[in-house]
Amino acid sequence: MKLLRKSCILIMTAAVILSSGCSFDSEYNCEFFAMDTVMTISAYGSKSESAVKAAQNEINRLDKLLSVQRENSEIYRLNRLKEMTVSEDTLTLITRSKEIYTLTDGAFDISCEPLIREWGFYSGLENKVPSQQAIENALKGVGAAHINIENSRVKLDENTSLDLGAVAKGYASRKASEILKENGVSSALMSLGGNVRAVGSKPDGESWSVAITNPDDNSKSIGTLKISDKAVVTSGGYQRYFEENGQIYHHIIDTKTGHPADSGLKSVTVVSEDDTLADALSTSLFVMGLEKSKEFYSQNSLLFGAVFITHKGEIFVTDNLNDSFMSKQDFEVISV
Amino acid sequence: MKNRIWIIIFSVVAILCLGVWLFISKVSSPSKVVGIYQNGSLVEKIDLNSVTGQREITLSGEYGDNVILVSNGHIEMKSADCPDKICVEHGELKSSASPIVCLPNKVVIKFESSTDGADAKTGAVG
Repeated sequence: MKLLRKSCILIMTAAVILSSGCSFDSEYNCEFFAMDTVMTISAYGSKSESAVKAAQNEINRLDKLLSVQRENSEIYRLNRLKEMTVSEDTLTLITRSKEIYTLTDGAFDISCEPLIREWGFYSGLENKVPSQQAIENALKGVGAAHINIENSRVKLDENTSLDLGAVAKGYASRKASEILKENGVSSALMSLGGNVRAVGSKPDGESWSVAITNPDDNSKSIGTLKISDKAVVTSGGYQRYFEENGQIYHHIIDTKTGHPADSGLKSVTVVSEDDTLADALSTSLFVMGLEKSKEFYSQNSLLFGAVFITHKGEIFVTDNLNDSFMSKQDFEVISV
Repeated sequence: MKNRIWIIIFSVVAILCLGVWLFISKVSSPSKVVGIYQNGSLVEKIDLNSVTGQREITLSGEYGDNVILVSNGHIEMKSADCPDKICVEHGELKSSASPIVCLPNKVVIKFESSTDGADAKTGAVG
């Protein structure tokens, strides 16, 4: 009788565990539109809901501040006034962008706004191939030397306008991940458009699995990266482009020529602990092309890792990602 | 003797738990359930495997209508009044990592569970 009672207690305990869905950690998912893209945040733990909401608020705040097209954003006003005192976030991002400009020998350049405008890559404009004269005029204000910073005051030269689109999502992802951590979340995954950010590992301690889009078929992937506590960002010309007289023109402009970068690459994926850098470098390496990127990697291998897909469909992976990258296709490893 | 009985009871309960858990996890995670969202809110959840015939769902947004085509095992954005038509060019929804997104009208069509083992997908954005 005693034995039967104990058995009943045991079975009931098992039933309670099962009825809880075997879930030992609560999950909260949020999907929203910001920075001209769709974003998702999935976080785990008892404080996940309030933490995700705080992270979402932060991203929306930065969107209002850094958008190039939103009237009354700080960047919109700076581009018109040419000189003003800016907030700490805007100042941090412009200063960082100038540093990355120097690091990448000008491959990364936030003064590209006049060129992007000429090519019609802003919403409300029509895509067109600009005249050489128009490109030369736009190039007059391009380059970090035209952006001057004094304390918290930013001054742009007459022909200069900024577009932080190539770093804003990276910066937002860093700030949002900090907020998640400050709010007690140690396991989360964010997808801000093509920017993925892992906060810690999965709740079971495994690494997150991030697929890299196949540039030739967006529904497929060319491989997978296993990451924890890192940002993964991809740049490529296969999503935003137009065709004129049989020629494809994509949106990543090489500010040295004023034309879409023609570097032989279809896609560059960068992995780094620094979200802002990952975002900026994915664009920079796409502009540089494979050979220059290899050289850049040999000098900066502690800062990032990368996966390159060439126009021929070849895959190149830096050696610091060799253990975390998996693909059914053959790939070549780039050593330092 | 008493210990042996306990070990047997524990083993039986453990095997039962495992069996029930495997059954529940298999039944409760159909891979073809899609969610249609607008402005971040769920409009409709559909199990594509249980769809019979063909039907269209029309959603209205700031830039006009989006027409979604649903049939057995298949969902796609058939047409859209939005300026870029990226959602229509996306074609059939095939992977949980590549949802159909119409940014202008803020419509997302996605699988509710992972279809390819990846937790997220990185790629260039439009």
